[in-house]
Amino acid sequence: MKRLLIILLGAITLSSCGYNSMVEKDESITKAWANVETQYQRRSDLIPNLVATVKGYADFEQETLTAVIEARSKATSVNIKADELSPDNIAKFQEAQSELSGALSRLLVSVERYPDLKASSQFSQLQAQLEGTENRISVARDKFNATVQDYNTYIRKFPKNIVANMFDFETRGYFEAEEGSDQAPEVAF
Amino acid sequence: MRFPLESRKRGIKAWFGLSLIAICIGVLAPAQLSADNCYPKKPQGLVADQAGLLTDREEALLNQKLVQFNQKTSNQILIVTILELCEGDAAMTAYAIGEKWGVGQGKLDNGIVVLVKPKTSDSRGQAFIATGYGLEGAIPDATAKVIVENEMIPRFRGENFYAGLDQATTVLMELAAGEYSHKDYQKKDGKGGFLSLLPILFFIFIWFMIRYSRTRSYARNNHLGFWAAWALLNSASRSHRGSFGNFSSGSGGFGGFGGGSFGGGGAGGSW
Repeated sequence: MKRLLIILLGAITLSSCGYNSMVEKDESITKAWANVETQYQRRSDLIPNLVATVKGYADFEQETLTAVIEARSKATSVNIKADELSPDNIAKFQEAQSELSGALSRLLVSVERYPDLKASSQFSQLQAQLEGTENRISVARDKFNATVQDYNTYIRKFPKNIVANMFDFETRGYFEAEEGSDQAPEVAF
Repeated sequence: MRFPLESRKRGIKAWFGLSLIAICIGVLAPAQLSADNCYPKKPQGLVADQAGLLTDREEALLNQKLVQFNQKTSNQILIVTILELCEGDAAMTAYAIGEKWGVGQGKLDNGIVVLVKPKTSDSRGQAFIATGYGLEGAIPDATAKVIVENEMIPRFRGENFYAGLDQATTVLMELAAGEYSHKDYQKKDGKGGFLSLLPILFFIFIWFMIRYSRTRSYARNNHLGFWAAWALLNSASRSHRGSFGNFSSGSGGFGGFGGGSFGGGGAGGSW
């Protein structure tokens, strides 16, 4: 009887100290992270299409293309599981992806020199898809950051930090704003 | 002697607490306000013309068209004109507005935000169509881009904002209506039907209980029967009823935003 009481009391204390909410918030981070990965994946899925379209124009600059392909394979090799979202890991992921972003925007700028390609309906569709994907990536990142902030704030407050410590709820990393990303990239079409 | 000292101490403590609260609120409030200040005020309908690009009549026409469409199909298309892109670029500003106001129905995410920032002497004009999660299939990014480039921007160049918005919303309505009709909405919404009524039933119950006990004591005090007291009290409070009427006056209009969500779909252009 006494043991039952202790268990019951313990359960009540735990749930009132937010253990269950921590689990819920942790799960919503996992979900938000999955969405971030999906959007990045969507971008890298578009690249073979883009490369094929651009390659059709025989004299297209080879280096720009190879840079994109290399950056893509590098970016897809960095995968992070949802329970390893430490600040370091996120920074690594972000670095690999931003290299690809850079290579892609260089490619889009160099397309300027090929009016036929730029005017083709296939390319303009791809471009709309790419832009849309970049938008989806930033929205997913914003939402991820918001869920992480909610979680981090929650587990670091007293007295929940004690429970969080006991059960190894660690603070999670954020996506940092990329350097120069406060100005929208100036790509003149 | 001890008593006044104690109470003075308590007074000091209270003052200290109050001023602390005042400081905290005073410091926090401006920060929160300035972040929200940039956005237009949430409109009563589906047109928020902050930049003043439309005449009153044009605004009313667009609003009527969109509100009717909302009533018919549950899709919500919101037009926002703005002088400053609060999030730095048109896409993020449109998503932020859609997300903040909850454009579209919560379960379908079938909202669209059409954002226009007019050209000024030192910045280009921007137009963006942001689609909610649920409409990304019906209006793919490439389609949104075509709408912006073919329907909106050529007319916006000639400052003909009404015609551009009217055309664009007509196309959007055709596309969106194919995806979600009101039936889908009611079907999806039906699940939570009774549960969502529970709080209302609860309040009605409480209101009834209060009325009941009041009538009982009124009846006892005035030596009346229960129903006689009920009738007397009712006639006495009839004068307060007027305010209730306001509630239904909006029934022909816009019922409010439904809490839809945006994931980054859509496309835009500039001129």
